[in-house]
Amino acid sequence: MKTGIQSWLDERFGLSNITKFLKEKTVPQHKHSIWYYTGSAILLFFTIQVITGFMLVFYYKPTLEGANASVARIMTEVPLGWIIRSVHSWAASFLIAFVFIHLLSTWLTKSYRKPRELTWMSGVFLLAASLAFGFTGYLLPWDDLSLSATKVGTDLPRSIPLVGAWVTKLLRGGEDVTGDTLTRFFGFHVSILPVFIFILLGVHIYLIQKHGMGLPLVAEGKKEKMREIPFWPNFVFREMVVWLLLLGILFSLAIFFPPSLDKAADLMAAAPEGIKPEWYFLFLFQTLKIFPAKILFLNGDTLAVFLMLLAGILFFFLPVMDNKPTEKKGRIITIIALVVIAYAVVMTVWSLL
Amino acid sequence: MKLKHSLFSRRQFLNGLLGGWLAALLASFLYPVIKFVFPPTREPDQVILPFADFRQMGPNSVKTFLWGAKPGILKKKDDGSLLAFVGVCTHLDCNVSYLADQRKFFCACHDGWYDENGQNIGGPPPKPLRRLVVSIEEEDLIIKREGEERVEDL
Repeated sequence: MKTGIQSWLDERFGLSNITKFLKEKTVPQHKHSIWYYTGSAILLFFTIQVITGFMLVFYYKPTLEGANASVARIMTEVPLGWIIRSVHSWAASFLIAFVFIHLLSTWLTKSYRKPRELTWMSGVFLLAASLAFGFTGYLLPWDDLSLSATKVGTDLPRSIPLVGAWVTKLLRGGEDVTGDTLTRFFGFHVSILPVFIFILLGVHIYLIQKHGMGLPLVAEGKKEKMREIPFWPNFVFREMVVWLLLLGILFSLAIFFPPSLDKAADLMAAAPEGIKPEWYFLFLFQTLKIFPAKILFLNGDTLAVFLMLLAGILFFFLPVMDNKPTEKKGRIITIIALVVIAYAVVMTVWSLL
Repeated sequence: MKLKHSLFSRRQFLNGLLGGWLAALLASFLYPVIKFVFPPTREPDQVILPFADFRQMGPNSVKTFLWGAKPGILKKKDDGSLLAFVGVCTHLDCNVSYLADQRKFFCACHDGWYDENGQNIGGPPPKPLRRLVVSIEEEDLIIKREGEERVEDL
């Protein structure tokens, strides 16, 4: 029964529509159901990032002089600061790993087919925002590795004709990576990207609720009704078990393998040997490394950047292209998905050798 | 010739006018935003260094100096003449280092190699290191930009 306060609030907010919806929402059960858990795992890590991010901002100083020292202070002086930074760093990796899994499962089960095209497209934007969070966050400790990674990453757009040089300048806050870049990246990381990601998440989650859970292709054609469980409380309780497991793994890794912090970056020093970006950019890093200086009349890196852009655009429009998933075209796209995964894995392993 | 009917209605005319105003208003808001986010460029026309700091350099050695926000590299050749480069890789902008024993410039980011004259010889760099012009005037070492275009062949 509703208490007085509940009905008072409900008369004003009308929240009972939402609770009614959640009570009636069901989740289908089939052999691909496991992928349904990846979305809420991402939300779990996202929440951790928001909370630990708020905490780190209390001590972090986004300036050339202060950045590295303030991170060192968080790691050594601030009570439990090292755990907070470690969790923030590890949860970032987990988040991106689950974003990849979430997205590949959608690709392979083809859940992006009509009417869920926009859910996929908002998801591609969310992927881009997640990678942008990772890229900007990597610079903030301001050590040698993060400086070189940022120089390379922000120089890439320069290959694009007309707008490229301006994009590089916009990202760097000038022609070169300097203290201004650090302050600007901090701005991206803690104010601009969060606004975008909250809007995108809102759209993405709304669309998922509107269309309900997607079914795998094999399940769709069957006559008998699929087994379903209620979202609340059955599915949520199962998700909670997954969250607890993931939290256990996350905190264990964060405590036993905290991220390192090198000496403060020197803008004049040569790039250190063995530099690497974060693991989720390794396949791109290796691609850039193996592209020769000249291919026909084009610069190697220009061509590489164009291929990356093209891949991104094709990826965004996948649901439009994969519109006959059960026919030959759909099977070819599935094979392409597997080739892409194999390529990324091989390149990543190669870059680590 | 006089047309019997107007080519567009009063409503179309007013909508066009209003749309034009709104576009102009938007542009007047966007212009300062765009101006604001791009800071003025800082590449210097020249830098003047005290020659005394560099006189002691041995042959086949390098010393860095500040070229705007980039590292500049001054190299003394075996015959005692001086060469100056912008010390960033032409591939993707990482700072390069000089390996004196191999007589090569090296970029660690993507394995880029240049010979001792800054010519790109291996890995992804598409162009030679950017050269700067060195001149000595009494006690000053003056380092200037080469014209707008870089000399491609030495």
